[in-house]
Amino acid sequence: MGDFGALLDGFATALQPMYLLYALIGVTLGTAVGVLPGIGPAMTLALLLPLTYSLEPTAAFIMFAGIYYGGMYGGSTTSILLNAPGESSSIITALEGNRMAKAGRGSAALATAAIGSFVAGTIATVALTLVAPTIARLAVQLGPADYVALLVLAFLTVAAVLGSSPPRGIASLGIGLFLGLVGTDTLTGQQRFTLGLPALADGIDVVVVAVGVFAVGEALYVASRMRRGPIPLVPAGKGWMTKDDWRRSWKPWLRGTAIGFPIGTLPAGGAEVGTFLSYSAERKLSKHREEFGKGAIEGVAGPEAANNASAAGVLVPLLTLGLPTSATAAILISAFQSYGIQPGPLLFQDESALIWALIASLYIGNVLLLVLNLPLVGIWVKLLQIPRPYLYAGILTFAALGSYSVGASTEDLVLLFLLGLLGWAMRNFGFPIAPAVVGLILGPIAEEQLRRALAISQGDPTVLVTSPFAAVVYAALVVFLFLGWWLRRRQARTEAELAAVVATPAESERSSS
Amino acid sequence: MGLLALGVFTLVDASTIVAPSSVNTVGPQAFPYAVGVLLVLTSLALFVDLARGHGGAAEEGEDVDPSATTDWATVLKLTGSFAALVVLVEPLGWPIAATVLFGGAAWSLGARPWWRPVLVGAVLAFTTQVLFTQLLDLYLPAGPLEGVSFLG
Repeated sequence: MGDFGALLDGFATALQPMYLLYALIGVTLGTAVGVLPGIGPAMTLALLLPLTYSLEPTAAFIMFAGIYYGGMYGGSTTSILLNAPGESSSIITALEGNRMAKAGRGSAALATAAIGSFVAGTIATVALTLVAPTIARLAVQLGPADYVALLVLAFLTVAAVLGSSPPRGIASLGIGLFLGLVGTDTLTGQQRFTLGLPALADGIDVVVVAVGVFAVGEALYVASRMRRGPIPLVPAGKGWMTKDDWRRSWKPWLRGTAIGFPIGTLPAGGAEVGTFLSYSAERKLSKHREEFGKGAIEGVAGPEAANNASAAGVLVPLLTLGLPTSATAAILISAFQSYGIQPGPLLFQDESALIWALIASLYIGNVLLLVLNLPLVGIWVKLLQIPRPYLYAGILTFAALGSYSVGASTEDLVLLFLLGLLGWAMRNFGFPIAPAVVGLILGPIAEEQLRRALAISQGDPTVLVTSPFAAVVYAALVVFLFLGWWLRRRQARTEAELAAVVATPAESERSSS
Repeated sequence: MGLLALGVFTLVDASTIVAPSSVNTVGPQAFPYAVGVLLVLTSLALFVDLARGHGGAAEEGEDVDPSATTDWATVLKLTGSFAALVVLVEPLGWPIAATVLFGGAAWSLGARPWWRPVLVGAVLAFTTQVLFTQLLDLYLPAGPLEGVSFLG
């Protein structure tokens, strides 16, 4: 019951008019930036991070919560109206949603996405509220060796599951780990990989890296091979969800939530996998299977719900263990760190008021999103029509602004651009970006825990595997890797099925009649 | 094209292999060595992968034309715009430097006529200057406009 009281206290904080305003600003900005094509949730967070520098922690975190959910939500509008997903977790939404839009049912698709996101977000936040404190209490007893095990688990699953192939994922992780090494070693004061440059002595700021590889990298990548010509925007259309739409939507919403939340909590690659699983489940269960690939509302409702539920699920390992399982979560961690707060099992004890205000504002953010998005679709549509040269010039400008305002140094700007070139090269050669960001954040933590564990054992490496918890984690790792491989295979199969459905609409029409 | 991709890819890989050899000889090295070994091993794995013919698929995106080849001229123009910002931001201040960056970048990406992106950039640059310095209490250099009350 103590948790419930704490949650109420959290609401009491988050409902203060000033904080409500910050939540509203966060949700609006998050959605607005998230809607912009080419900008996923991780980049949204990275770009908007500087806005919170001068805020006190509670206000800042309430705003982050809004930006996080808003950015997640914004992507679905883009994919429904533009048929080109900004983040991989919106691929499915693009597929069915865009076909609905082309059939003149765009607003129904947007509505089922918005309401589904709300339902899933709220249920998943409740689940987070119930699960997180318990996990945190258990996690307090973990020693450094146990942490090393958890971090190894996070590294390998993130690298293996995100991106096109495990070697590329691990290479990307390695790049991130290397970037995390740059700077002054915390335990001995030794400078590492700084090339003698004073600008690198304090390490590379996470915001600079994230904005560099995500935002600048993306802008360069798009610039190098831009799609010319008019923007293939589909008008949202008139009308609203019919009774039939509601009847067909609510079950997918709930199923999507049930699939998305657990997958989000696992270090299995964040939202993407859940949406694919939800989609194939809906396709199997639907009575209107022939509509799939041509604009089935279940194919929007389920995956959108799964997407948002896993966004909340990702927060469980983040808040209780300090483990980010997606790039977005990694940037959230760096936001915490900039306030001197290290997410982990002690967070619920040390920063109890802050954390419960954050969780309360997740509920509030969900409500705000629903209220905001249904009437404001028109504005989001306008944002989608920004001419591309201006859009990407704007991204570059804000990326520069963000990094410069961190430390007012031109070295950071140079670094930003170099990292942008790195991000561009990685995109060009099919390396996933997310593992690099995760590696950058977790690398230093892993090193510290590893050295602490070895210091306690006086250099005996067997300590790393003899703790019962660590042994369990390594066993789980094997299971996870297998599970991840299996999920990917499922996903590949769904993709193949999709391709088949899309390629032969005429045939499936014939067979259904 | 595949050859070119392979060439650049090798370069990327070479740089990842160089990284571990630059490990400093003093201080705590265990972790960097581990990272170095990891990088070398994955680069080897990637070579094997590549030799088997699994090239990397370039990322897809909303505004990306997957069939287009790399447009180096645009990238160079963007680099120039960014370099201009780096050089100009301290002497001339954020408002002017950011106008140059935005105008140059949008122009390189195809915005015409040239004065339109510059105008939009100026509005954007001055708005962010006022917003950051006045509302958010963050420092941005105003350059020669220093002393204008609402900019500094």
